[in-house]
Amino acid sequence: MHGRGQATLEAFGRDAVFSDLSFTYPLKLISPKIPAANPVAIAYVLSYGGGLISGDQIELNVETRKEATLILLTQGSTKVFPSRTIDRIRASDVFARQQDGVTPPDTTRQSLEAKVASGSNLVLLPDPVTCFAGSIYTQVQTFRLERGASLCVLDWYTSGRMSRGEEWVFERYRSVNEIWIDGKRAARDVMLLEEPNGRSVLPLAPRTLKARMAPYSCYATLFLIGPAVAPVLSYVEQEMRSVTQFQASAPAELVWSFSPLEHGGIVRAAGVETETVKFWLKRILIPLQSTIGAEAFDKILV
Amino acid sequence: MQAANDDQAAHEAYILLLLSDANLPTGSFVASAGLESYIKHGFFSASAQPEGASLFDNSSSGSLESDPTSFKDMPNPPRLTSATIRFLQDSVQSYARSALPFVGGVHDIVEKVLSSPEDLDNLQEIMQLDTLYESMTLNHVARRASKAQGVALLTLYTKGFSEPLWIPRSRSPLSKAMTSLIEGLKLKIRKGDTPGHLPICWAVLAAALGLTRERSQHLHSFLHARALLSASVRLNTVGPYAAQQLLLHVVQPMVENAVRVSKDLQIRFGQPEVSREGDLELAADEDDGPANTWPLGEILSSRHDQQHSRIFNS
Repeated sequence: MHGRGQATLEAFGRDAVFSDLSFTYPLKLISPKIPAANPVAIAYVLSYGGGLISGDQIELNVETRKEATLILLTQGSTKVFPSRTIDRIRASDVFARQQDGVTPPDTTRQSLEAKVASGSNLVLLPDPVTCFAGSIYTQVQTFRLERGASLCVLDWYTSGRMSRGEEWVFERYRSVNEIWIDGKRAARDVMLLEEPNGRSVLPLAPRTLKARMAPYSCYATLFLIGPAVAPVLSYVEQEMRSVTQFQASAPAELVWSFSPLEHGGIVRAAGVETETVKFWLKRILIPLQSTIGAEAFDKILV
Repeated sequence: MQAANDDQAAHEAYILLLLSDANLPTGSFVASAGLESYIKHGFFSASAQPEGASLFDNSSSGSLESDPTSFKDMPNPPRLTSATIRFLQDSVQSYARSALPFVGGVHDIVEKVLSSPEDLDNLQEIMQLDTLYESMTLNHVARRASKAQGVALLTLYTKGFSEPLWIPRSRSPLSKAMTSLIEGLKLKIRKGDTPGHLPICWAVLAAALGLTRERSQHLHSFLHARALLSASVRLNTVGPYAAQQLLLHVVQPMVENAVRVSKDLQIRFGQPEVSREGDLELAADEDDGPANTWPLGEILSSRHDQQHSRIFNS
């Protein structure tokens, strides 16, 4: 299925108004009314049935103008169901095609193209992506900011259907986040997770994806750019400065890092439990309340 | 023809000897590429080691002559050695996947300089890849280490490998073109026009010295692994003899596999839009470019400066 959507948000005084909010099956965009002192709007990005099946393609375009703040959320994690043909095609054949630069036909793909005008804000705080065993998923998000625009983007994923004991056993997860500021590429983050392909590296056994990701089952990346997220940035920087790492006797339940960028910074975290990561993220995002308001803040990362 | 190939092979072998010198002033001795922080965060501890998982391929297809049942009696490597091997596997794979497409891309550009030394676009093309590498290296600790080592390599060429002026009849007519390209790049780095990252500068140096594309990529990956083992010796997690054993028996297949997987990955820019200034878009996303494959390594190496005490800069 190929679903498309467009959301364009403008500000008129204190009101945020969608000049365009359209979508096609299986994508759905729902915007609940929220009381807000500023031109802030929420849109839920939903897919029918709460998951994506193999071959699904979702393309979303968003634009924020003037002083508007658009908050994009989901309801529940994005579940990526297994590839239909992966059982029939031997994995090595799939990888052979990948090496020719051809995306496997069963790839589930979500793409987001966002334009953020100067003075406006885009806040993207979805639930994590959960790739089921055998799934192939690609996500490409491009954010084009004018100087003075702000961005808060969370990209996170879990190890799979933990209730079934799945731990890092999907075929492939690839996530690309590219942030442009005023025509310059400020960041291009490409994360690629797949089982090591090709021959076994004798005498060593192949290093499995699960072994590479252990002991954590949830990884998150948070991009923070622009003046509206400055309070979050200074909070995170202060937290990082207060960390003094002595020799640990075992890995911590949650580990995180912060790297500054020219107009903001990037936070990464990994946790043994998804809930631990979510709770921690919500805590460091508390200063965002001043930008989006308490009503909207209550709806994020619930 | 055969004689020319022999000359080329002998030249390349000699250059390999020079570049493999562990005492070359390239700044790699202050870099641990996240290993120090990884250990400090408890990932070498007994509780962080996977239970029951063997490091080795015990399948019967793994070794033709050995009886698979005999593996049962084999000793396990010491815990710190196993942990080191696991770190090497993840680090070498992820670094190769991130950096080798850039080494290959820059090597291609420098080879063009060999055929048309006057073409100034070549420097611009190298800078485009350098800027892209910067935007893909978001970890500030890795950025810092990569830039320090990159510019050190260019200095190594201009001060250590360029042909001295007092050599009467030039043996390598291209040395002049290479020196001017590298001086040009150094100037751009000093002015802050381009960051000067390690894989970019490595490819310039290796291509300027006449190493082939694949040899440049292979040696770069090997030196990454060897630097990690040198760091292990200084961190006292591996002894000096064990480090040599690992280099010979474990690192070789590891590096070869990483190079095989990543050497042909491409970086393709789209057509520049005439009306638009700024960085070039990448050609339509085709899944086969540089990527980070080890998010845990990224987090831990970014926390390097949070360590209470440390002996490395990265």
